[in-house]
Amino acid sequence: MSVFFKMNVSVTFIRPFARYLVPLTFPKKRNLYSAIMQRHMSSKIPAVSYPNKESTSPPEQLELDGWKTTMKSSVQEAVSTVPSSKDEDTVAATRELIEMWRLLGRNVPEHITEEELKTVMECTSKSAQRKYLKYLYIKENLKRAKLLKKEMKAAAKKEAQKANLFETTEENKEQNFLFLRFWDRHKNIAMGWKGAQAMQFGQPLVFDMSYSNYMKPKDLQNTVSQLLESEGCNRRDIDPFHIYFCNLEIGSAYHRELVRYYGEKWDKLLITATEKSYVDLFPKDNIIYLTADSPNVMTTYKHDKIYIVGSFVDKNIQSGVSLAKAKQLNLATERLPLDKYLQWSTGNKNLTLDQMTRILLCLKNTGNWEEALKFVPRRKHVGFLDISKHSEELLNRLKKAKTFNSFPKRTLSRQTQKSWYE
Amino acid sequence: MTCLAGIRSFLKLWKSKPYLGLGPGHSHPCLFLTDCGLRNQQRWFSLKTMSPQNTKAVNMLAAKGRLVKKRDEDGIKQISPPSLFAAGAAKKRSEMNPPNKDHTVLLQRENTPLPTKPLSSEEWDKLKEDYTGKGNFENWIGAQMSRNHSSVDVAKSLLAWVAAKNNGIVGYNLLVMYLHICVFHKQTSEVVDVYEIMKARYKSLEPGAYTLLIRGLIHSDRWREALQLLEDIKKVLTPSVRNYDDCIQGALLHQDVNMAWNLWEELLSCNLTPMLETLKAFFDFGKDIRDDHYSSKLLDILLYLRNNHLYPGESFAHSIKTWFESIPGKQWKGQFTTIQKSGQCSGCGNTVEPIHLSPEEYDFLKEKIMMDVIDGGNQYRKTTPQELKRFESFVESCPPFDIVIDGLNVAKMFPKARESQSLLEVVSLLAKQNLQLLVLGRKHMLKQSSRWRKDEMEKVQKQAYCFFADDISEDDPFLLYATMNSGNHCRFITNDLMRDHKACLPDAKTQRLFFKWQRGHQLAIKSVFPGSHIIFQHTVDYDTVVQTTGDSWHIPYDEALVERCSYEVPTKWLCLHRRT
Repeated sequence: MSVFFKMNVSVTFIRPFARYLVPLTFPKKRNLYSAIMQRHMSSKIPAVSYPNKESTSPPEQLELDGWKTTMKSSVQEAVSTVPSSKDEDTVAATRELIEMWRLLGRNVPEHITEEELKTVMECTSKSAQRKYLKYLYIKENLKRAKLLKKEMKAAAKKEAQKANLFETTEENKEQNFLFLRFWDRHKNIAMGWKGAQAMQFGQPLVFDMSYSNYMKPKDLQNTVSQLLESEGCNRRDIDPFHIYFCNLEIGSAYHRELVRYYGEKWDKLLITATEKSYVDLFPKDNIIYLTADSPNVMTTYKHDKIYIVGSFVDKNIQSGVSLAKAKQLNLATERLPLDKYLQWSTGNKNLTLDQMTRILLCLKNTGNWEEALKFVPRRKHVGFLDISKHSEELLNRLKKAKTFNSFPKRTLSRQTQKSWYE
Repeated sequence: MTCLAGIRSFLKLWKSKPYLGLGPGHSHPCLFLTDCGLRNQQRWFSLKTMSPQNTKAVNMLAAKGRLVKKRDEDGIKQISPPSLFAAGAAKKRSEMNPPNKDHTVLLQRENTPLPTKPLSSEEWDKLKEDYTGKGNFENWIGAQMSRNHSSVDVAKSLLAWVAAKNNGIVGYNLLVMYLHICVFHKQTSEVVDVYEIMKARYKSLEPGAYTLLIRGLIHSDRWREALQLLEDIKKVLTPSVRNYDDCIQGALLHQDVNMAWNLWEELLSCNLTPMLETLKAFFDFGKDIRDDHYSSKLLDILLYLRNNHLYPGESFAHSIKTWFESIPGKQWKGQFTTIQKSGQCSGCGNTVEPIHLSPEEYDFLKEKIMMDVIDGGNQYRKTTPQELKRFESFVESCPPFDIVIDGLNVAKMFPKARESQSLLEVVSLLAKQNLQLLVLGRKHMLKQSSRWRKDEMEKVQKQAYCFFADDISEDDPFLLYATMNSGNHCRFITNDLMRDHKACLPDAKTQRLFFKWQRGHQLAIKSVFPGSHIIFQHTVDYDTVVQTTGDSWHIPYDEALVERCSYEVPTKWLCLHRRT
């Protein structure tokens, strides 16, 4: 280290000198510093003396090593930019590492809290660490973008208010209204009424909450947000289900997350949350467990049955968990007739909980499969199979000759798409 | 797009029917014929898929099969190379069925050509003005240059230009880019310069830069500082195997053998799998060393390869051979050979290790399969407890089986033939050899349908023990358990590679054990076309693993030009033995 410093110092003393010497003593020599000097000294004069020497002069003529000196000499200034803490514990080291990754342009967050840093260090593998840091990076970016948007909106609103103040103060007073503006509150009250009615007379829809130990914390969070979404769309429906959260143990991760998301509202929700299992609440013969692994296809929606949806986001490949559960309890199972109605292309046949709820609600109200399966994400299928025109017999025949099954339909839809893309 | 896909699938159709005279599969009948010629060495039998008209011919063939059987001892030793698990077999299989879509990756043409010689700052300015992409020009051009391995001078001129614009400061990412180029072009003095700069400017670096510095510094006189950098990485992360590889190479380059071995120990203690290059470096270095301690360490490395089922590459195999032959006084002689089907080395004639598991290993594996593959913590996932009980008592009530057949897999082998017919053919062929058979299937096979004829299924049930699982249960775990339960002589017939069941096993060691057992016990049906003969691909009798008898070493290795899948084993061997 000491040797290096000595060298460093000596070089730094000579170099700045050279800077001034070079353009003066050898005015013909075009190097980088002379160019800079020229620009500094006569910035108004356009650089007429553009060197067309690139063919004649060998590359050594360009001053290429100059930056090294400045880089080495600016030690103190540079260190201060890097957050440096004296204690050599790994926390600080990790923080520095993340900072260096950020300088390198990796996808890591700019600011990281102690807690997140702890999570980073607890990651078992490098790829887990990288994924988590990327997740934080994206989260940070989204947050920043949101904040920016909010500020812009606030500014725009202020502008608009200012403009409004001068124009329409008197007009408003003269208008006659039938209702006061309490739309949201009225809507909520009405939904509450409907919800209360559903609690009394509605068809039960059960969410089976017994999968918490099959999921990682993040999947569990996703599950809970899907449950929230499901409950929301059920509440808004014209004829809501009576929702049951079965096997929901108080104090479990599910329960904690739900209470955290709903807050005070949790106790006022018009649903039944219970620690009991659905087999205790309902007669076994009436229960139908919905799972994509089921061998039985759902043909019609039955209004006297109790449908169960497993609240389970299956990111790992654990096929057949819900089917195993139904098998264990000896329950009837069904899956949605996705292949019958849709030309499936990519993606898992497992749908999210809110999509499932919407499909069931739609079936309950209309009984129309085409209408209900519109809630299946568009990216997962190419289009609807036109089976209403064919007789059942024809469908069977097509099924046998598998290669021709729905072939003309597919080509048609592909072709129409093609014209869109090209 | 649709049109093209249509044509491709058509092509596929043609290719997958080689008896039409197209495609690589056409060699099947020929292969069969050549097998005929080698009948004495390669034990096999075959059968024509029955169609009602030529039952006579089939009977004759079956009789032939019996003849062959008489000649053999246990009658079911059929081999037709290459084995299902031989290196490159999966590649060949995939070439038989080319994928529908060609993934042609179009390389993006840059709109700005990369400079080939150092530019002055004005020229850089001009280049920047021309740049139309999004993002920072300096970062973009830096990334492009390090990707295309521009010359050091060009990169340096870029840095000089950036520094001049920016008060002599160059960003960290550009510095790393430059370092990358220097390391790539082996410009050690430049690497040392950048190292000084980094040390001066930054308190700590990130693993990418550390890795580059280590790689650059090991060739210089200051290679010991690379070890210091390795320590720096360790503060936060586990160094990669490449870091260790570089350090070990550096230590060997500078004759510090102890340091190299210390790093090797450290690498193993981190549970990292070393790069084969590291091992090769030890062997290469060993040529010039006459030291018993060093030799025993190298033998330890070979044992490490054995225990972890690693196979050296071709050049590594050459290094091993050279090292052995360089040992004075011992007179090792090495040659590259293959192993015959019987398990004899073509080079020295010795027999390599058989593939049988030891009794302890066998019991261990059996229990693990029961625990993790069938049960898996929830018996309802693959079967039901009732069914499991039914199966267990069924297996108890039967004598040990010789062959367990995966009914559904065998039946679906021939897409043109009826399922029950194919199954019946395979079963009756095997039944003629007085083998105890077990056919595993699902209950739906018993229902009369166009694909499953009742009379044929009854014939199957007459000739073999049958167990039909529920339609929603998995049959493969039963297959595995029945085979294991019957003992070491029992084989199973399926073309399933069982990778999903292997994945259910808890650790790599058990998985390797399973793979070894599978290689020794799985019979796969080779011909997949109706109208051709059924050829069983028999199990190999020997284990493909690094092995020694003290006086000899047999080391399987990967050929440089053959792609091997994880579930395949090499076919080439290095045979080393001492001249007496």
